Amino acid sequence: MLKWFRQLDEILRGDATRIGSLDEGKINIRVAGLSTVIILLAAIYGACMGSFNLLHPLGEEARIKAYDMYMQLLASSVKLPLLFFLTLLVTFPSLYVFNALIGSRLSVVSALRLLVASMAVMLAVLASLGPIVVFFSLSTTSYSFMILLNVAICAIAGMLGLAFLLRTLHRLVLVQEARDCPIPPVQQSQEPGGEDQQAQKVNAPPSGALDRVGMFTSRKAINVFRIWTTVFALVGAQMSWVLRPFIGNPGLGFEWFRQRESNFFLAVLRTLGNLFSS
Amino acid sequence: MILLRANDVLRATPWAVREGRTAGRLMHLGVLVVVFGVLYGAVMGSFAGVFGERFLQVVYSAVKVPFLLTATFALSLPSFFVINTLLGLRSDFTYAVRALVATQAGLTIILASLAPFTVLWYASFGDYRAAILFNAVMFGTASISAQWLLRRFYEPLIRRNRKHRLMLRGWLVIYAFVGIQMGWVLRPFIGNPDSPTQFFRQEAWGNAYVQLAQTIVGLFGG
Repeated sequence: MLKWFRQLDEILRGDATRIGSLDEGKINIRVAGLSTVIILLAAIYGACMGSFNLLHPLGEEARIKAYDMYMQLLASSVKLPLLFFLTLLVTFPSLYVFNALIGSRLSVVSALRLLVASMAVMLAVLASLGPIVVFFSLSTTSYSFMILLNVAICAIAGMLGLAFLLRTLHRLVLVQEARDCPIPPVQQSQEPGGEDQQAQKVNAPPSGALDRVGMFTSRKAINVFRIWTTVFALVGAQMSWVLRPFIGNPGLGFEWFRQRESNFFLAVLRTLGNLFSS
Repeated sequence: MILLRANDVLRATPWAVREGRTAGRLMHLGVLVVVFGVLYGAVMGSFAGVFGERFLQVVYSAVKVPFLLTATFALSLPSFFVINTLLGLRSDFTYAVRALVATQAGLTIILASLAPFTVLWYASFGDYRAAILFNAVMFGTASISAQWLLRRFYEPLIRRNRKHRLMLRGWLVIYAFVGIQMGWVLRPFIGNPDSPTQFFRQEAWGNAYVQLAQTIVGLFGG
């Protein structure tokens, strides 16, 4: 267990994704162990989300039964890990296919490890914001506010996770290109902004057809992955809508899943309206 | 002894952030937060008088001010840690935490130094709303002054790595976000003379930001 958390720590510190440690174009992590950590962190954040009704002072008018409250807590901590793995399931095939299409030599294992590592980053950020969510959950009576707070926090975590994904991908491409053509060893750099210059440095000496293609590929690859991260975010958002409720509307009883209606983005807009009008 | 240490914090000497073992220093700084926080809290709660049942409000506020600061700090710290690590700033984290805790101590020291003004205000004016406003001004003054201290503590970090500036801003945003709600939940601090003394206001349990949004909409919408 501790070993897995150490792995998470290595990823967060950037040790696992240094160019020197990306052997053979793979991140050196164990998918199974890290997944366990991800499930655990997701369950923690889910519980934080589901704690909204626990201390609900509007009990007289909303009449939430104790059973409902604890079921919501349980349901949220089960559904949040589910949300992440289902999003992974939906997006992984296309990631791999597009990746192969643009000619990058990321293997299935490598792509999977990359995604799991990004998810670990996302969930570490999420879980670390959990205490703030619990505090607001317990002290707030406004359901709309809690929805928007959770959306904002998930957006922050998602952006950091996807930024990690793009940066690491860039490094993986660099490592592969460096292996393919005899170029002076790539400098290790921790600065996320430093990679662009590095890419140019690596690709600078025009020493053959492969090199030009390499540069072309990496640029294109990065663009494709930028689009892909947007897709990932959209899928994740809509998946969260399909799996709702996570917080539990105090006006409605407990349900594992709600009826099929509307979509995530409309709902966020509507909630924003509610916040100001009620 | 405590005053000497307070002096160290205010002058941003190496005592607070560089010298000695971290755990011990954090404890010292924590003691400063509690001592000076209790001092200002007690003064803050004395608005409706200090005798009889009203003395309870003094005690409550004295407990609540340090609690407000430490709880906000504790809630904001995990995410600060993870994001610092993610940006590759883990090696500076100990220093950063010491700087932040020292700033908390600085904030309470500044607040305590403003307490005599609060006493004078309470002695001069009996309006409850004005008292709230005055305390808000005091807290504002102390926060802004503490920012200045924080910037001094953070200067070496920022010089080493510019990303620390970003982290500092992020910290302030999270801290203020949590702190405002914490202050709202922990009301009353001052104690309305028209209502009985109580630790928490049951009916006022709610959300500072929702209240604010609704007040603004109410102002413009009719």
